[in-house]
Amino acid sequence: MENRESIPCVELRNLVKRFPGVTAVDHVSLKVEKGKVFSLLGPSGCGKTTALRIIAGLETMDEGDVLIDGKVINDVPAYKRDCSIVFQTLALFPHMTVEANVSYGLEQRKVPKDEIRKRVGEIIDLMGLGGMEKRRPSQLSGGQQQRVALARSLILSPKVLLLDEPLASLDRKLRKGMQVELKRIQREVGITFLYVTHDQKEALSLSDTIAVMDKGKLEQVGTPEEIYETPRTKRVADFIGASNIFPGKVIASGNGKVQLETEGGSRVIALENKDIRSEEVTGISVHPELVEVLPEGTGLEGDNRFRGKIVEMIYQGDFIETKICLDQTGGLITSYLNSRLGRETQFSPGEEVLVHWSPESSNILLG
Amino acid sequence: MKSLTGKTLLAIATLTYLFMWVPTITLIVFSFSNDKLGIRWEGFTLKWYAEIFNNAAVRNALEMSLIIAITTIVVSTLAGTVTAYGLYKYKFRGKEVIRMSLLLPIVMPYIVTAGALLVFFTRVVDIPLGYPSILIAHISFSTPLAVFIVLGRMQRIDWTLEEASMDLGAGRLTTWRRITLPLLMPAVIASAVLIFPWSFSDFTITFFVAGVGNTTLPIYVYSALRWGETAAVNAIGAIFVALPLIGLLLMNFFQKKRVI
Amino acid sequence: MPRGACPERHEILRYAQNDTKRRAGNDKGMFFGSFQTAFRIVGEMPGNLREKIRKYLAKQAHLPSVGPVSIWTILFVIAPLGFILYFSFLTAGDFGQILPIFTLENYQALARPVVAEVFLRTLLFSLATTMICLLLGYPLAYFIVMYGGRWRIHLLLLVILPEWTSYLIRLYAIRMLSGRAGLINSALLSLGLISSPLGILYNPSAVVLTLVYGWLPLMVLPVYASLVGLNPSLLEASADLGATPFRRFFTVTLPLTKGGILAGIILVFIPCIGDWLVPLLMGGTKTFMAGNLVYLHFISAANIPAGSTIGVALTAIVLIIMYLCIKAGGKEATERII
Repeated sequence: MENRESIPCVELRNLVKRFPGVTAVDHVSLKVEKGKVFSLLGPSGCGKTTALRIIAGLETMDEGDVLIDGKVINDVPAYKRDCSIVFQTLALFPHMTVEANVSYGLEQRKVPKDEIRKRVGEIIDLMGLGGMEKRRPSQLSGGQQQRVALARSLILSPKVLLLDEPLASLDRKLRKGMQVELKRIQREVGITFLYVTHDQKEALSLSDTIAVMDKGKLEQVGTPEEIYETPRTKRVADFIGASNIFPGKVIASGNGKVQLETEGGSRVIALENKDIRSEEVTGISVHPELVEVLPEGTGLEGDNRFRGKIVEMIYQGDFIETKICLDQTGGLITSYLNSRLGRETQFSPGEEVLVHWSPESSNILLG
Repeated sequence: MKSLTGKTLLAIATLTYLFMWVPTITLIVFSFSNDKLGIRWEGFTLKWYAEIFNNAAVRNALEMSLIIAITTIVVSTLAGTVTAYGLYKYKFRGKEVIRMSLLLPIVMPYIVTAGALLVFFTRVVDIPLGYPSILIAHISFSTPLAVFIVLGRMQRIDWTLEEASMDLGAGRLTTWRRITLPLLMPAVIASAVLIFPWSFSDFTITFFVAGVGNTTLPIYVYSALRWGETAAVNAIGAIFVALPLIGLLLMNFFQKKRVI
Repeated sequence: MPRGACPERHEILRYAQNDTKRRAGNDKGMFFGSFQTAFRIVGEMPGNLREKIRKYLAKQAHLPSVGPVSIWTILFVIAPLGFILYFSFLTAGDFGQILPIFTLENYQALARPVVAEVFLRTLLFSLATTMICLLLGYPLAYFIVMYGGRWRIHLLLLVILPEWTSYLIRLYAIRMLSGRAGLINSALLSLGLISSPLGILYNPSAVVLTLVYGWLPLMVLPVYASLVGLNPSLLEASADLGATPFRRFFTVTLPLTKGGILAGIILVFIPCIGDWLVPLLMGGTKTFMAGNLVYLHFISAANIPAGSTIGVALTAIVLIIMYLCIKAGGKEATERII
């Protein structure tokens, strides 16, 4: 019956995990496609790591099923599951050499010694760890330790590699480099990655699919573009960095547009979406880089144009984070002004301006 | 150390160190003296050390002490490690009760423990005095030591290492053997190093439960002390003083061998 | 474990009992039969019951690791102590037997002047020893921490090592020095400073000093640990605020090392109060302590009930002192003991 679509590599069905006083994973269902990078994104404590640990078999669930390759593996112990996890702390065995760390899994699988040696050699080359074989983890740099941890799991060719914020301990520059590395390695070995992170940029740049979690619940699943451009709920919008969120209700629609009244009383326009019923709409979000700031003299007629006063300008390098207080509602709106365009010379804090964004930049929120 | 406080502290420290070490150092020095009573310097000799090995009574006592200490070490470190693991890893009712009762042998006055065990062995259950009773007493006392030392180490271990091992396909036992135990080894060795001198030199408890005719080395020393000292006791004493030093060097050696 | 702690267990037992009754007729040999029954029971159980067994076993996962030592402790630590408590309420027979006749006489005997005097002396000696240990041990620990530099750990080892040496041997060493024919006397005699050997031993101060010699390391260790744990910036802060070194010590250092001091007090006091070797070897009958009474009753007189009572009283004193110190020192004192 599953033949029509390909069998997902990992599937969760109604997964529930309760800890005393909190439901860490709350009826989560999702499918991870084979050979892709799937990210679980969410703030710390949202249950993403717990979900990962349940898949790895390190934690038991209270309800629901875990499937790998279409088979329910609820009762399969961790050491018999066809998946491998890279821990946040990396968990390299401190008393073993790099070589021994990497070959550990194959030894458990009773692979012949010659083959172990061959495969360890291959993976060490793939990871660029040549010459480090006899060192201990404590004698390696952060990035090298990272590679050893990856190698140790990848050598087993698991159906899915589970990564629990593996880059969290690295500094920013190294993290960037490792992200590129990870993508390269994933393409080369073709193994499905299930990636847990709280860093939205990391998730956006690495993943084929992102699932955003909050308070144990799955908020939205989609491609990085979908998640970034059309976050479906306030929480997703907030988490992905769309800091302009206006809760409100639809008051009129027609001509392919809908009109919303925000809680502050302004009218904002968005494009109509046939799949959405107007009663469900709870507001809109606008990405700061889509908000234009115009000189005061510009006319007020047209959609989504509001008067305001610049209250703060923060130089961020490639852009200037500008906060504008809207005259009508007293609410704040953020705009990222491109600093290269020299516009910063045009505006200064305290100045009266006009803000504007196009209706297609308004993203409709459903929760 | 120029200040008055510094000088006073130095004076107190020096005197205290002298107070702590002069008696045992004198003991060692005079164990090389030719004097029969061992309290006068009559020229250098090693004959008292030779006598330890020639005197059958001393030899038997040494043998008994060694057998007891080694058995105690093996049983106590093993049982202590396993128990500490259970206490650390699992949540269950009565855990605090177990912890408290493990503290009992450590905080009870020796003489009370000793008396209680003797009465228990002779009046309540019928456990023969000698090896069985001494071993039970030593193991009861040493196991909690091992439990608490290993527990201390466990609090500083990264337990995801165990999960990593299972994730890589190792079962519980393999994980224990290849990951957990090596990580706990420093604590296991430390408890062995601590238990050995304790068991080897315990007098009060052993003396109470040993029964007639079972002489460990400390009991031998005690009778020599009560019924006329001989210089050979000096040599035995010197060995007792050197013992913890050897243990310390051993521990140092093990620590250097393992890069953890 | 209290009843009702594990409802699954009762259900499993009930099921097993019924099943055994049902099949009692056609079972084979004892051993194999029971094994087969066990497997059959598990195999034929309804799913939810099997689930319950699984859960029950999961709840008992600690038993293989914690169980053996717990049983051992009950058998060989708690039971012996329980029995001396029990015996302390019984009557001693004329030939060393324990007669199962309830009495409080043993406890009343504690108030007899002879016994009370021994207890008082025990307390006094122990208190004096603990105080001297504190007065010597605290400055020593302070010295090691503040002036030890890179020799810190070696200086500390010099304190610990004696503690690992046989107590008896160390007492022997002291006696060798200070006996009538000991080294001190012979040295003084040959120097002509005295004309007849001094009686250094066999008096209360000899007992207390030897006790100090015996247990001083146990005071230094916890104090050292709490001094090392001190945050140096606290001292700097108080110096910065203008406190003189003297004030600094009494207002910052001393209060912050309270836990270590209390732990040290417990650690020294407990072995002192139960000591019997020092009075025996250094003091003689005039300085006998409670521990000697235990020995006399248990071994020499074979009056188990009386000996047990003194043991119980000693334990009570230890528990009270521990309780007071832990209450005063909070968590730190408890942690430092172990």
